[in-house]
Amino acid sequence: MNPVLSVWNLIATYVFLPTDLIIQWVSDFFNTTMDILLHLPQYAMEFLTVNAKPILQITILPGLAWVIVYAIIAVWFERKFLARAMLRVGPYYCGGKAGWLQLIADFMKLFFKEIIIPRDVNWLFFLAMPVLLPSVPALAVILIPFDTHWVLWDVGGIGLPIFFAIAGIAPLIPIFTGWASKNKYTFIGAWRVAYMYISAEIPMVICGAAVAIMTGSFNLVEIVKAQQNMWFFVPQFIGFVVFFLGVFIQSERTPFDIPGAETEIVLGWRTEYSGVLYGFVMFTEYVMLQAWALLFLTLYMGGYNGPVLFGAATASHIFWMVLKFVTLVTLVILCRCVFPRLRMDQMLKLGWYYLTPLAILNLIVTLALKLMGVF
Amino acid sequence: MSLIRKLIKPFMIVFPHIFRESETVAYPTERPVFPERFRGRHKFYFDRCISCNTCARVCPCNSIELVEVVGREGKYPQIDYQTCSLCGYCVEFCPKNALEFTEFVEFAEYNRSNLVYSPERLTVVPDLKEVLPMLKRRTEVYHTETAMKYRKVKDV
Amino acid sequence: MSEPEIVPDIMRISWGPQHPMSGQTRILLDLDGEKVHRIIADLGFTHRGIEKILENRTFLQGIVPIERMVMADTPNIGICYIKAIEEAMGVEVPERANWIRSLVCEMARINSHLYAFGLQAESTGYFPAVFLWTTVDRAWILQLFAELTGARWSLNFFLPGGVYKDLPEGFENKVIEGVHYLRRRFQKYWDAMVENYTFEMRCDDVAILKPEDAIRLGATGPVLRGSRVAIDVRKDEPYAAYRDLDFEVITEDACDSMARTKVRFREIVQSLNMMEQIAKEIPDGPVRTRVPFFARPKAGEYLSRVETARGELGVHLFTDGGMNPYRVKINSPTLRNMYVFERLAELDEILMADIPVVINSIDPWYLDSDR
Repeated sequence: MNPVLSVWNLIATYVFLPTDLIIQWVSDFFNTTMDILLHLPQYAMEFLTVNAKPILQITILPGLAWVIVYAIIAVWFERKFLARAMLRVGPYYCGGKAGWLQLIADFMKLFFKEIIIPRDVNWLFFLAMPVLLPSVPALAVILIPFDTHWVLWDVGGIGLPIFFAIAGIAPLIPIFTGWASKNKYTFIGAWRVAYMYISAEIPMVICGAAVAIMTGSFNLVEIVKAQQNMWFFVPQFIGFVVFFLGVFIQSERTPFDIPGAETEIVLGWRTEYSGVLYGFVMFTEYVMLQAWALLFLTLYMGGYNGPVLFGAATASHIFWMVLKFVTLVTLVILCRCVFPRLRMDQMLKLGWYYLTPLAILNLIVTLALKLMGVF
Repeated sequence: MSLIRKLIKPFMIVFPHIFRESETVAYPTERPVFPERFRGRHKFYFDRCISCNTCARVCPCNSIELVEVVGREGKYPQIDYQTCSLCGYCVEFCPKNALEFTEFVEFAEYNRSNLVYSPERLTVVPDLKEVLPMLKRRTEVYHTETAMKYRKVKDV
Repeated sequence: MSEPEIVPDIMRISWGPQHPMSGQTRILLDLDGEKVHRIIADLGFTHRGIEKILENRTFLQGIVPIERMVMADTPNIGICYIKAIEEAMGVEVPERANWIRSLVCEMARINSHLYAFGLQAESTGYFPAVFLWTTVDRAWILQLFAELTGARWSLNFFLPGGVYKDLPEGFENKVIEGVHYLRRRFQKYWDAMVENYTFEMRCDDVAILKPEDAIRLGATGPVLRGSRVAIDVRKDEPYAAYRDLDFEVITEDACDSMARTKVRFREIVQSLNMMEQIAKEIPDGPVRTRVPFFARPKAGEYLSRVETARGELGVHLFTDGGMNPYRVKINSPTLRNMYVFERLAELDEILMADIPVVINSIDPWYLDSDR
């Protein structure tokens, strides 16, 4: 045997081979780590958009944070906007010049106030209803698509009837509240709610049916996709007007805030509430407006579609939806400055004599357009 | 149609008001300058008063009572601002013009007895900055073609 | 108060003192659904005993409490009492003082009508924009009052024998400037509010009061003139400078709430015309005839009537030769109009949602009815 070769074999086996292995192992490790680090943003995006998407939707958009932040900003905006139209200043001292912390201060104050429960009320309904009040319209918000694949609850393609079903529960809660409070003013407010909501909901459901006929499906995402070339308020102009009035009626905004008419029946069905329950009841008004305004935008104003010229990136869909929503809410708040309130019998006349026949006319026109093959 | 006009015209009138300046005086950071005839707190001059009791007899609210003052002879008026209606009869009918009006209207006190102003207290009118430490500007009213506005007269 | 027995099926609601829109009064409504069967007005919450106070003050001292009967147009009430005193004392008022009195009275009338107009806007549904605009415009009138008299609301500017002081320098020009400004604002109010579709829906054909009913029940002021009856004390028995000023008595044909609101609104325009005429044509001369403070007029009975913003106010003064009046009886317009309001439920069908509109078209000021 050659002794040099055997020594070389020994050295190769016990020195060079492990070193090679070690170097290989280290460089493998290094490569993998660099690979992960360089692709980390991509992994994060994938995680957010695929794995964690439901959590984001539930908490941020269009879930909890969206509803609450919108309500806070909307109340501040309404107070400032109305103050400017009345040549006043509005909230001024809390939080710098614009008073943007006023809302948070008000909400905190409401938390610390005493909840007064009158003696003879039906305490179960009295305490339970204000919790349900904002929850039911907030439940309806989760059906609205903010992007092609950004719907929180895609109910197997029947979003529109589910929305109307949830909206059908919404009038019951003020009626229970008004009855449970055992007060003459709230009782009047309760049956005014009953009259008003029922007379407004029928034309709105018929208009929704007309939109569904024009699209050919109940899925809200499909309805928005069908509006890529022309928004639906052009062919269905009558339905647009009826639904627009319906948004005011269903969310109890002036000129239709008859059940909560302050000058006649001291806040109507909400009279007996104080403290944090009052906060919930006030919060409801904005959540209902949000739910119906979003549905209105989806059905008639193109949902998340931008104008036809622009391209279709993910972020700008949500941006267009938010922009349209803000414009609609501003218009609704402006209507408060301009028109006084209607009387109950005038509102019923409007609902039954004008809105319902117009909605049926709208349905007939849509059917005619569909059968003639125009759409 | 007149229906459309009646629905749309109110919008066109209300909407420009959003861009107008607000007509609020941000009291107590600002305070207007009142006109010269303004009826505010009284100011009393010791050396003009002759203790004739006319102001007390003339006052419709029975707010003035003549009391003795330490270190001076005679009796001098003490005004009770809980009942004084700032009507101006005492100023008008004093034969020697010993009472005058100032523009001071910050009467708030913590004790009710502090609202009865003794003659020595009536002589001195405090500076506004002592009573309103957060005062920054004095404003005055002026009229333009379209509005009545407030403009800054001086910084305090 | 004795309440009649309650018939079943009717809900009695107390439009009570704790209510955002009731003012300082309590009105009991018998409701059947939305229809109002009966209105009972329970007045007296703000009774201060002004008539008794006046018996314990001298004549000049008495002007101060009586002016606080209605805070919105104090000069009109002051001038009623002062006219009675001047008749009792036999004092002659100089010409320039009469013109200044008319100027101040008309400014106060505009003040009161703008306030009533703003309240009407608010009562139809919390229409806050117009109410605040009227507050802003009234600030101009109050500023003029402060420059002229020294106080903004409770003027105490009139004395028996004239007015307190003459007009300050440049006051006529300010009045004319302000008149032009208010005329332009008037057009905006008319378009934004009176010709507003929803406001018309609320106020048209609500609580129609026919002319013969208005006269029979004793309505006064814009309530009467909104029902086609042209009665105005400034034309029937002119006082101050109204003989020389040219203005019209405004009536409306429709007899409903909208007519009463429009009457008030157009009376503002008439007052603006009068103010401009006074500022341009006021004669020179003294403004005051000195009257001794503790005067003792002759014993007797003296009656004076003026047209305040709300209607006709009457003061019946009994003197017995002493320094204080023996008895002062004040006949306030709001009390008479509230009686008409109670009977409106029988004359015309009123719904509960109409009640704020109707009350504010009658324009009550409860301190006036309770004295």
